[in-house]
Amino acid sequence: MESISTKFSQPSRQSRVAIAIILIKFVRFTIRTFWPIALSFFIGRKAGNSFEDIIGYVALGIAAINLIGSVLTYFRFYFHIEDGAFIIDKGVLRRTKTNIPFERIQTINLQQNIVHQIFGVVSLEIDTAGAKKSELTIDALNKEDAEAIRQFILEERDQLVEDTPSAETEEKQVVEEEIILQLGISDLIKIGVSQNHLRSMAILFAFVFSTLNELTDNITDMVREELSDYQEALSNGWVVFAGSVVIVGIISFFYSLINTVLKNYDLKLAARKGGLRIVRGLLNKEEISINKSKVQNISWSDNPLRRLFHMYTIQIEQASSAQADQLKAKIKIPGSYTEQVLRVLSIVFPKEFIRDEEKHRVSILLKYRIFIFSGLLPALMAGGIGYFTNGLVALWALLWIGFVWLSVTIYYKKRSFELNDEILKNNRGTFGNHYEVLQLYKVQAVSIKQSWYQRRKDLASVVFHTAAGSLKIPFIPLEQAEALENFVLYKIESDRRKWM
Amino acid sequence: MIDTFQNLSIDLTSLPEVTQSEFNQIERKYLRVSLISRSILFFLMLVAAILIVSLSDEIEKGLFEFGVSSGPILLLWSFSIFYAIKAFPKKKYSLREKDIIYSKGLLWQTRTAIPFNRIQHAEVKQGPIERIFKLHSLKVYTAGGESSDLVIPGLSEENAGKIKEFIMGKTALDGVDQH
Repeated sequence: MESISTKFSQPSRQSRVAIAIILIKFVRFTIRTFWPIALSFFIGRKAGNSFEDIIGYVALGIAAINLIGSVLTYFRFYFHIEDGAFIIDKGVLRRTKTNIPFERIQTINLQQNIVHQIFGVVSLEIDTAGAKKSELTIDALNKEDAEAIRQFILEERDQLVEDTPSAETEEKQVVEEEIILQLGISDLIKIGVSQNHLRSMAILFAFVFSTLNELTDNITDMVREELSDYQEALSNGWVVFAGSVVIVGIISFFYSLINTVLKNYDLKLAARKGGLRIVRGLLNKEEISINKSKVQNISWSDNPLRRLFHMYTIQIEQASSAQADQLKAKIKIPGSYTEQVLRVLSIVFPKEFIRDEEKHRVSILLKYRIFIFSGLLPALMAGGIGYFTNGLVALWALLWIGFVWLSVTIYYKKRSFELNDEILKNNRGTFGNHYEVLQLYKVQAVSIKQSWYQRRKDLASVVFHTAAGSLKIPFIPLEQAEALENFVLYKIESDRRKWM
Repeated sequence: MIDTFQNLSIDLTSLPEVTQSEFNQIERKYLRVSLISRSILFFLMLVAAILIVSLSDEIEKGLFEFGVSSGPILLLWSFSIFYAIKAFPKKKYSLREKDIIYSKGLLWQTRTAIPFNRIQHAEVKQGPIERIFKLHSLKVYTAGGESSDLVIPGLSEENAGKIKEFIMGKTALDGVDQH
């Protein structure tokens, strides 16, 4: 290990491949910002006036700046290890020197996109507990070097931070990595097939429309113009509609399938000292370490399709300081069976508290409230208005009432929470199941909310805010809500463990 | 009722109760701040409504037209004032040994409690209208993001500073304990 600290004790540059990777990053950024201009350039080319030539030169100029910029960025980026701190010195126009003491480093993740994989390098991300800029990235490093650096820093840090006696016993328990979950290609296909295809359909539609929006100012005009040729076909409106739904359905089916396979290819979830480690991805290979003290809550859910395979998707949410990292702080692991969910829970949380507890129900009034406000009233209003304009056809709106009553009944049946000295578990879901677990002492703030209606019925909702999202228990008796509030506050205030 | 959670290792009735703690009202003057800041928007809307009627060529300039354009605004304005006055006494805060609590709201009541050992940072702020009345707001940040940050408005300079010092002192102490 000594060799690593001496090898990188002097300021050193990244692997040369970094130039290519920085360049790609620059180009992607430029394209993402300027692509409508570029597109209009290509489309409007036939007009051939000098304005478009200027745009062409500008584009060339931007490309040149990109190239020069990435080379300069590479040559002005140094890093080294000194006195228990990781130091990065970088910046072409504005030079910054960042000094990260090991004990402030939360996790170090390695990532490989396709270029990285071709050249056998990795990018190294250092996540710190700082207030704002919480992340530093080294674009390209030799794989062995990166792994050695990570191991060195994490070990040094653990010696600095975890001088509690419990750390030692833990160390003995999990010396080697133990694989919890490994996804083969058949698992991936199962997961892909059972994705929420409606959601990918929505994403597809959103993408198509936002793209059209950027291209033309007036979508409706364009659509009308385009469609005017197909007047006759349009008279068979239903056929066209059904046809396009089928096509979009098929596309989004394959979209989510391919997406799943690419993202989770060869996924391995393993228990390591102090937490979990995930490796996955085909084109973009990523390696994520999860520190158990940083995990704020874990949820797992299924949907009707997934239930056929008995598979859950686990979501692990970590504390993240910067708002922009919120998405990254949520790690989804699909394709886990109940057994694996329990393994993950018992690794991250104290094992003895992972057990079933008495299910506390919420008030039945919640069911009636939801039914009235999202079922009865909208249906009656839509039906009433429709009746005067369209006649009896509008009575179909009444079907909505039945549908909502059915879903609310299922929802209410599943809605409950469980509590013990360490853990709060929320059970919910309508068509699928969704379970959330949080450790009481990691809660940041407790809110009790009461609407005027709830006050009349002596009910309240409790919200537990954690460093990664909040968890809500609606419509429970006020007395119970206050008991929860007092208990959780007591738990937070009397606990001295590390919570982030 | 309270024995609903029987599996816990601690007797819930023995815990300090949030509702039993001593709550402080914020400064009376803050009511004026909230009335003024609410009124600015309504005033601008009222001016706009009157200007539209008086400058437009197509609208006649009768009493009825002015009434229709400004009436709803005046009505909403008075609702807003009424609500602000009614809701004001509900804004209360409490400092306990280990946490800070703030409750507010007339129709929708919210009470948020933040333990000192989860506070990241606290600051005293002052908006332009608050400056006129020499009032300050205390903002308490947690790692829980926007949704769990706490703002206590309407504090005198002395009080705001004192509370901030109190909180920061407590978090610093806890910080020492944690490492």
